[in-house]
Amino acid sequence: MRTESPVEVDSAARRKCDRLTGQSEALLEYRGLSITFGELEAIKNVSFSVEGGEIVCIIGPNGAGKTTLLRMTSGLLKPTSGQIWFGGSRVDRLPAWQRARLGIVQLFQDIQLFSNMTVLDNVMTGAHVWTRAGFAASALNLSSAVAEEKRIREAALDELTTVGLAGRARQFPSALSWGEQKLVGLARALLARPSLLLLDEPYSGLVQDDIFRLTGLLRGLQKRGVTMLMVEHLTDVVMDVAEKVVVLHYGEKLAEGSPDSIRADERVIATYLGE
Amino acid sequence: MEIATVLQSLISGLTLGCIYAALGLGLFVVYGVTRVLNLAQGEFVMLGGMLTVSFVSLGVPLAPAIVLAVCTTMLSGIFLYRFIIYPARNASASTLAFLTVGFAFAIEGITLLVWGWEYRSLTNFLGSSSIHLWGATIFGQAPWVVGMTVLMVVGLFFFFGHTMIGKALRACADEPLGARSVGINIEKMALLSFVLASGLGAVAGATITPLTMTAYNIGIPLTIKGLLAAFVGGIHRPVGVILGGLLVGFAEALSAGLVPTGYHDVMALGLLLAVFLARPRGLLPAHGVAE
Amino acid sequence: MKRELGVIIPAIADRYGVRGGRLVVAVAGVVLLTLPLWATAYVVNMFTTIGLYSVLALGLVLLTGLAGQVSLCQAMFYGVGAYTSALLAVRLGIPPALALVSGAAAAGLVAAPLGRAILRLRGIIVAGVTLTVNLGFFYLVKSAAELTGGATGLYLIPRLDSPGGMSYSSFIFFVVWGLVILCLVLTSNLVKSRIGRALKSMNVLAGGSEDTAQVLGIDVMHFKVGVYIVAAVFAGAAGAVYAHRMTVIEPHTFGAQTSVLIAIMAIVGGVTNPWGAILGATLIVGITEVFREVAPVVLGGATGAYELVAYGVVLVLTLLFLPEGLFSLPTRLRKRHED
Repeated sequence: MRTESPVEVDSAARRKCDRLTGQSEALLEYRGLSITFGELEAIKNVSFSVEGGEIVCIIGPNGAGKTTLLRMTSGLLKPTSGQIWFGGSRVDRLPAWQRARLGIVQLFQDIQLFSNMTVLDNVMTGAHVWTRAGFAASALNLSSAVAEEKRIREAALDELTTVGLAGRARQFPSALSWGEQKLVGLARALLARPSLLLLDEPYSGLVQDDIFRLTGLLRGLQKRGVTMLMVEHLTDVVMDVAEKVVVLHYGEKLAEGSPDSIRADERVIATYLGE
Repeated sequence: MEIATVLQSLISGLTLGCIYAALGLGLFVVYGVTRVLNLAQGEFVMLGGMLTVSFVSLGVPLAPAIVLAVCTTMLSGIFLYRFIIYPARNASASTLAFLTVGFAFAIEGITLLVWGWEYRSLTNFLGSSSIHLWGATIFGQAPWVVGMTVLMVVGLFFFFGHTMIGKALRACADEPLGARSVGINIEKMALLSFVLASGLGAVAGATITPLTMTAYNIGIPLTIKGLLAAFVGGIHRPVGVILGGLLVGFAEALSAGLVPTGYHDVMALGLLLAVFLARPRGLLPAHGVAE
Repeated sequence: MKRELGVIIPAIADRYGVRGGRLVVAVAGVVLLTLPLWATAYVVNMFTTIGLYSVLALGLVLLTGLAGQVSLCQAMFYGVGAYTSALLAVRLGIPPALALVSGAAAAGLVAAPLGRAILRLRGIIVAGVTLTVNLGFFYLVKSAAELTGGATGLYLIPRLDSPGGMSYSSFIFFVVWGLVILCLVLTSNLVKSRIGRALKSMNVLAGGSEDTAQVLGIDVMHFKVGVYIVAAVFAGAAGAVYAHRMTVIEPHTFGAQTSVLIAIMAIVGGVTNPWGAILGATLIVGITEVFREVAPVVLGGATGAYELVAYGVVLVLTLLFLPEGLFSLPTRLRKRHED
């Protein structure tokens, strides 16, 4: 059972201070974020922050805007108003690929492995963020490009080994089970060296064994210093893994707090959990 | 700049615009129902003209000759769907488009074999060769072209908006799965769209031949202009296509009439491309959900 | 006979596998590269043409096969290279070799802004826009007649300085196939590299996803435009060589229909494989020669007609029955044999 510690109270005050000065100390912060599609206001004035090293879960009924929020964070959608701050600077105007370079990487609900390349190539694609060989160097097979390829390959095999799928490196995604594909997707995202990993329903479609495996991997990632913002439905997992839970409802933030405080929150029970 | 020149250009623009609008409508009919970009639409137009010329030269009176030409062209449309598009119906959009390209090439080759290189022409439908109006000359066939396009537009509006089959066709485009679940036979609708497009193309071809002549190779430029019309205006609605066609026609005619140097066709094309790139969804985008 | 072939070919492929494939390529390579020594001028010329089209089709292997962009303006860049090189040599007296390089560079320079503007679009519409741009280029060249010679063509383009001792057509043959080999190497290197992976990842036609590529840090526009430029430079180089080979060029060669033909070559050969470009070019040029020379004599009818029908039929048959192109034929036969 976690109660509000002095450190948390202090950070609330710090956040207020940041808003006044325009800075942000938290790793990720949403300020008054909104997005409208035509007539539908999918996200209304959402504000909260994620500290470095935290695992934060976003929950809420279908259509609450959870995936939309993630897509705004990774850059695939631009907000209509509001700001997103990451690592001390504003990012909501940047295109997705630049945010990846800053350390924000999203893992989609349907993973989207590239079906036209092997598992290993899929993972190696994640390395794009920190590699540099351009058209000329690659076309001419310069030694710098060759050396870099070797490093990418080794890093990719490492990540595949971490998720336990090194033996499948030469196969194509279609040969893998759904759970295995998810792990490959994770390995690929990890190769991008994220500091903030956005996970959209990472547990969906997994059997019990895979669920344990994934939780273990995520905890290991946390130890490596990766911050995670996750959208998830499975209540048990959320309670187990998350340090903070944010509840979205019809695009608005309904509640925010530790898993236990959320479980006890009457508004949340009324709209979502208690049915 | 004399009034006569401007008037001449405007009239040419209207006439050309109607031709391109008709082409665009043919593209729209197929794309709207099947999502296939029929790059052989220009060939249907060419066939309509060529066949009419041939039937007339065989002694058939004009009206039945046109009917025969249209029916024959529709047969080729059926062939295209049944033997080329249908077998590949689950393939990607680009594969389907290239299949129509293959068909177009074959049609061009066969036309060249049967009719040879020369341009063929028809006499104006009512015989008079030109009308003079305020110093401008209108080719006698021009009112027929405009009239044909208007009829086509009105006919299509009525067809799509008020007949069962027309509505079924629109349902296929908007919601194929839903259409199927309501019992609409998608394949039949697709076939119908090809028949309709080839028929419309043939009618257009017969009507424009007295004005522009016809030859084996007019298909490709016509298709390209039709594509321009459809995409600049917005291929999701007939109004957009018509607007696009008129725009392309006016751009071509006005630049030919008013721009002194020889670069008018480049400028017209450049202008249209610039318009398109500025609004890639078309000047009149689709209602509701964006594509 | 068909059944025997159906058994023999896969059996050979099985037995000799990759080594067999390499052997075939090596033998074909030797035969090809010594062509001027033993073949007639007609054959040498035909294979020079095949080489030029191979380079053009290789651009599409990168642009369409790898990156999934259906671009129908390779013939335009062919023309940019040809006219730039020709004009520099004819009007400004620049030495042909230098003009040639400038022609290739010019194509790249034109491709950069054009790619930026066009490749923002997604889907089949790119094909329509590139076709239209190609048409515009055709009109432009015809209109700028004082500069380019207009529809009648540009004449008296100087030849490249060839070493004594071999005929000009043999020299050009080697230049062209040198270019083919260079482009083949560059293409395969790119395919296997980080760039190749990036392009494959955003190839929507083949199972990639632009969104996923973006969130992994891949600047999709940058790569699309980059590969567009590479394909343009290939085409420009081929065009420049063409100009100095023929010494006369005219706009029709670089029109929209040629772009479509190049696409047909790439598709028929196998658009995802560099060797497919050569296969496709060989088949289409071969068909053209047969139908141009033989058919009208034997069957009567206008020249040019039979090829058109043949292109159409071959394209349709390929797309319906062998969608991955001729190059996939041995693999297909082998799989059928195994089943």
